[in-house]
Amino acid sequence: MSLRPPPSWLHPGVRLIEAERSVGWGEIAAQADAFEAAFRAAGGRVALPPRGVPALVAALVAAERAGVELRLSRRTTAAEAEIPHHEPGFAVLLETSGTTGAPKLIRHDFQRLRGRLRGATDPDARWLLAYEPAAFAGLQVILTALAAGATLVSAPGAGAADLARLAVRHAVTHISATPSFWRAFLLALDGDAPPLAAVTLGGEVADQPLLDRLAERFPTAKHRHIYASTEAGALFAVGDGKAGFPAAWLDGGIDGVGLRLRDGVLEVSSPRAMLGGDGGWLSTGDVVEVRGDRALFAGRLDGRVNVGGIKVSPEVVEQVLLDVPGVRDALVQAAANPVTGHILTALVVPAPGVEEAVLRAAIRTAVADLPSAARPRLVTMTGSIALGAAGKKTRKGTA
Amino acid sequence: MTDSMFALIAEELARIAADKGETLPALDPDTRFLGGDLPIDSLDLATLLVVLEQRTGQDPFRAGFVQFNTIGELAALYRPGVPAGAA
Repeated sequence: MSLRPPPSWLHPGVRLIEAERSVGWGEIAAQADAFEAAFRAAGGRVALPPRGVPALVAALVAAERAGVELRLSRRTTAAEAEIPHHEPGFAVLLETSGTTGAPKLIRHDFQRLRGRLRGATDPDARWLLAYEPAAFAGLQVILTALAAGATLVSAPGAGAADLARLAVRHAVTHISATPSFWRAFLLALDGDAPPLAAVTLGGEVADQPLLDRLAERFPTAKHRHIYASTEAGALFAVGDGKAGFPAAWLDGGIDGVGLRLRDGVLEVSSPRAMLGGDGGWLSTGDVVEVRGDRALFAGRLDGRVNVGGIKVSPEVVEQVLLDVPGVRDALVQAAANPVTGHILTALVVPAPGVEEAVLRAAIRTAVADLPSAARPRLVTMTGSIALGAAGKKTRKGTA
Repeated sequence: MTDSMFALIAEELARIAADKGETLPALDPDTRFLGGDLPIDSLDLATLLVVLEQRTGQDPFRAGFVQFNTIGELAALYRPGVPAGAA
């Protein structure tokens, strides 16, 4: 059987390197043929468990041919999620990350997903995948590499240290990752460093010391940090090496995106994203402070905190702890650190007569279902939890 | 670097590893946190830094990220003379 041509969004020169195996369009096409038969038989909506990047790409090709919705799961045993109803046809369903175990499914029209791709059409680029393949940001990196016919190095599930080794070994030139990843990447790099030409940060606030360290370590690379919102996706990129963005953008907008502050919260309007609400303006929930000619991010309006690129809610985790038998009261708060931005810590008041070791074990079991970023990393037993003036617990560390 | 800071880091690293059911190899000042032999990830390292701030009362990262790779390099970021465990 002759090799079918790839879809328009996949350049035949692409190379996918995973687990010491390098595959091209030939191998992807063969797997796509097998998936296509299965997808046509199933019809409607199909799910792909995490099986690595080459399988994910083959499944995208097959789902488009078969005209089915493809759900990309992030865990082997996908939790049941509420499924949005929609017209049938090719689309990609992605699970959101967050505090609770039940992911929300977001349906993405494939052409619109691709419409967000920008820049980097260099076929000689060697990308490292530093996001989960089935996450929105990961899929953007994959689609960028596919369109350019570039090389993509991936190791799903590997930590920053392993990825740093792979980046050096495969002479990676392009990495897009969270600030937390970049900090761990810098901590893991030995004397050797990959020949990076493009350093991109997204998903969390990029702080000035990190931007400075990256500029020092990769002086010839192009550095930029991306601002995105859950609803609207990537909105703008900042390339001047400074944290935040120019305050002038709050008047004139940038790159077709309108920006304004309402009560200190950033609102956006974008022709690329179909935004509902107030005349096309959408509140991002991100608190912004203007200092001089710079607009700087100052936390979330809803109190969620960023742990290694994942937004988690201390309040939701606190509810999980309060449901543990033997817990009389609990306070979950964020502790800042220079590696993952924040971690969650907990103060727990045990009920009388409860043994600490037993309670700790019960808490460990209760939080085991949460994503690891949402688990309180330090649990301190205490006699009481102080209340603030309003009679509410005072939650430090959140904006 | 002070010996007491090294000892404090070793103690807290052992506790974090034990919580995960892991044991640590022998540590020395050149032991790397990430990318070496330690069975820890970046969330564990983040936890260590928060605990060290609680136990020493010092935050060498107040102004943001500071580069370090090894236990010795981290220990050197803390002022000597602050008794470990002083609260």
